[in-house]
Amino acid sequence: MNTKLQRRQFIKISSAAGGSLILGMLLPQACKTGTKAEVCDPLQPMPYLKIESTGYITIYFARAEMGQGVNTSLPMILAEELDADWSKVKTDLLPFGVTIDRPDKPSSGGYYTTGGSQSVITDWNEMRRVGATAKAMLVSAAAKRWNIPESKCNTANSVVYNTKTKEGFTYAELVCDAIKLPIPKEVKLKETKDFTLIGNAAPKKNLGSIITGKTKYGIDVKVDGMVYAVVERCPVLNGKVKSFDDSACKNIGGYIKAIQFEGSGMPMHIHAGVAVLATNVWSAMKARKVLKVEWDEAGHGNESTEELFKTFELKSKNTPLIEVYKKGDPGKVKASAGNTLESAFAAPFLAHGTMEPINCIGHVQKGKAEFWCGNQWPEFAPPTLATELGIDEKNIKINLAYIGGGFGRRLFFDYILEAAKIAKQYDKPVKVIWDRVDDIRNDAFRPANYHRMKASWDDAGKILSWQHHYVGCSINLMLEGPGAKVVGDMTGGAMSDFWYDIPNVKTGFTHVDFNLSRGWLRAVEININVFPIESFIDELARKLKKDPVQFRLDLLSTMPKRMTEFPFQDPQRIAGVLKLVAEKIGYAQPLKPNHFIGVATHHFSFCPTYVAHAIEIEMFAPKKFRIVKVVAAVDCGIVVNPDGLQNQLQGGLAFALTQALKGEITVKNGRVEQDSFFNYELLRYPEMPPVEVHVVNSTEPCGGIGEVGMPTVAPALCNALAAAGHRPYRLPLKKDGYEWV
Amino acid sequence: MPTYNLNINNKPYKGVPADPDTPLLWVLRDILDLTGTKFGCGVGSCGACTVLFNGKAVRSCQLQIQEVGYAKITTIEGLSEDGSHPVQKAWEKVGVPQCGYCQPGQMMTVAGLLNSNKQPTEEQINSAMSGNLCRCGTYHRIKAAILEAIAK
Repeated sequence: MNTKLQRRQFIKISSAAGGSLILGMLLPQACKTGTKAEVCDPLQPMPYLKIESTGYITIYFARAEMGQGVNTSLPMILAEELDADWSKVKTDLLPFGVTIDRPDKPSSGGYYTTGGSQSVITDWNEMRRVGATAKAMLVSAAAKRWNIPESKCNTANSVVYNTKTKEGFTYAELVCDAIKLPIPKEVKLKETKDFTLIGNAAPKKNLGSIITGKTKYGIDVKVDGMVYAVVERCPVLNGKVKSFDDSACKNIGGYIKAIQFEGSGMPMHIHAGVAVLATNVWSAMKARKVLKVEWDEAGHGNESTEELFKTFELKSKNTPLIEVYKKGDPGKVKASAGNTLESAFAAPFLAHGTMEPINCIGHVQKGKAEFWCGNQWPEFAPPTLATELGIDEKNIKINLAYIGGGFGRRLFFDYILEAAKIAKQYDKPVKVIWDRVDDIRNDAFRPANYHRMKASWDDAGKILSWQHHYVGCSINLMLEGPGAKVVGDMTGGAMSDFWYDIPNVKTGFTHVDFNLSRGWLRAVEININVFPIESFIDELARKLKKDPVQFRLDLLSTMPKRMTEFPFQDPQRIAGVLKLVAEKIGYAQPLKPNHFIGVATHHFSFCPTYVAHAIEIEMFAPKKFRIVKVVAAVDCGIVVNPDGLQNQLQGGLAFALTQALKGEITVKNGRVEQDSFFNYELLRYPEMPPVEVHVVNSTEPCGGIGEVGMPTVAPALCNALAAAGHRPYRLPLKKDGYEWV
Repeated sequence: MPTYNLNINNKPYKGVPADPDTPLLWVLRDILDLTGTKFGCGVGSCGACTVLFNGKAVRSCQLQIQEVGYAKITTIEGLSEDGSHPVQKAWEKVGVPQCGYCQPGQMMTVAGLLNSNKQPTEEQINSAMSGNLCRCGTYHRIKAAILEAIAK
């Protein structure tokens, strides 16, 4: 005890230098004097945090880390309230299956679900509560030792200080006392103005691990005794294996066997296939090449996207099958002849193309099963897996890994179900690896979509009506069947979240079935709808010979706030980011010859985030251009990690430019035509334009960041092309004969 | 099955068993457990599997083990173990990665480029980097990190 006192005095002397430094200096001192720090169980008031008596602080995140930075932003929120020494905090993925009992009970599909840019929003309160709770316990333990009231203590850098004597105990030293204390039910949280960590740029916690190649993604996981499998899948969805012949496979060294499995329907649509098992992945790939399979395509071998878009066009002229939103009645508006505009916009199916191809290890034993993979929604899988395997849900274990690109692809568990179907027919763990062809052809594709937009105005140029008919292949109807409760395809300004003040508005949706699995791709419906909305509003402005920025600002200026009914929306923040990009790109300044600027703004209506883009282009020929510069503005309330925000917005631009310029999946004879990055092209390094990201300084509640940099890119670019004289109505631009340099 | 003696990250690997046509990528990942080299496409279209072959950036998915001989192979694990290589330091300073999956390949391409050319032009950088995809879209920061590495 005496030695400890001496140590504390040392802290007192050196406290001005900062706690972390002292701790580092103290440890060798303790060793020299032979003092052993007390060792006990860690302080872990909730699974999200572990403070060990040895000094380690680990903050766990339960959301999938797939590049969007939750392994840093979520722990930062907790560490802020804990007053932890961030430089020494380790962060790790909380194993799936740990019981998390949260008082806030958010209803976003589960505590591990990662989608909709929701992680920071959903975990904000709980991360703060856990940090503050642990801090309160450590303070209480210190106050007892000093025999002073807790109010006479303060905390910084993982040390509790006696405010009067300036003595301090490190959190590590207090753990063994703190674990004996009751966990407080109510804790006081910091005022926003007192944040010291939140709002300061922090590098990713696994940055060092990534740059040395040590980060383990799902595809890097190895399990004792595992074998490898690659799968030959039916080229059309809902087909069957008629027969297969693996006699040639048997000549390949390392080949084990072939396993046939059936496809599945709701909720996961997987292709029937034959898995080729081998002792190593290369042998499996070689054996697959000589495997012969005869398919029963079950009548699905004729469909094409070319026909689908013709159907879209026809149906778009009819009344929508589902009326989604109505304000006033556009049908009763009488506009003079010539005071109307009608346009149609289209965008194709898209594949996710995550750099880490889809993979999953499955090990099915009697009465239990275990899986290893990256996944964004592990709560979604167990019920279906349990049915497939005929075992109890609680005997299914899913081990999550870091994800080499998610973008919504890994919200689906089709590949876990497929691994289950294969592994249940083999007695060892099976690692199923999809190659790039499999990955592109068997994706859960972002739906193809088509939008007929109509508007009318009076003789003074005031917009009287707006109609938006979205025709597409619904995701929800595919997941849940025709009885789906929600047709969720209209968010992003195509429903009650439409942000321009126009008296008569009507929006509707028409579903067209198509034999292709569909899923969510980064920014999903918001990305889909903002393209036609922000293109058409721009087209209206130009048609009425009004400035496209001012035209939008006028229609936003009178739009009331929606703060009582979801989606909450503040139109002035939509206007705010638009004004900011216009200012930063020099919208009011004269442009160089052949230079044009396009803008687009939006509310990312899943959350309180508002983003606008302004894009300057230079035209070289009617369909040949260069992107000179891109300016983005973001208003997402409090920013947790400005470095993460910048990275997401810069990267989101690249992701969105892929879609605007060249991303397209087509189907012919029931089959996806693309099979590699040679024909499903992604943006490449030389094509990345200069980009600036500006952030609105705000103390409003946090919005999300992961997807918000996408939706306004394509319309801003198309609006720039329209300013140059030719408006594109369909994506990708490559399809319309555009070239860029 | 034939065996191969390999020289990877300045370390000899003796008697590595593999079929002659096995891509170096899978030898590294599956047999030698050097999983920092990533599988992205298997056809040389994405650059995730890039390693150095006698100091030059190559796609390890396109290089059969029988063609490797005792050439000096460097993977991300051998660029430096502690992240002290100038390219890694530049990557760290700029904070390039998002998901990070493609980054070993990106860094190996840059390391290969700078091995042969300390002051590459923008055109030479564009040409070297156009074979490395990043789906997270970190190109803006890759560019900043390359300029940082060149400046050092």
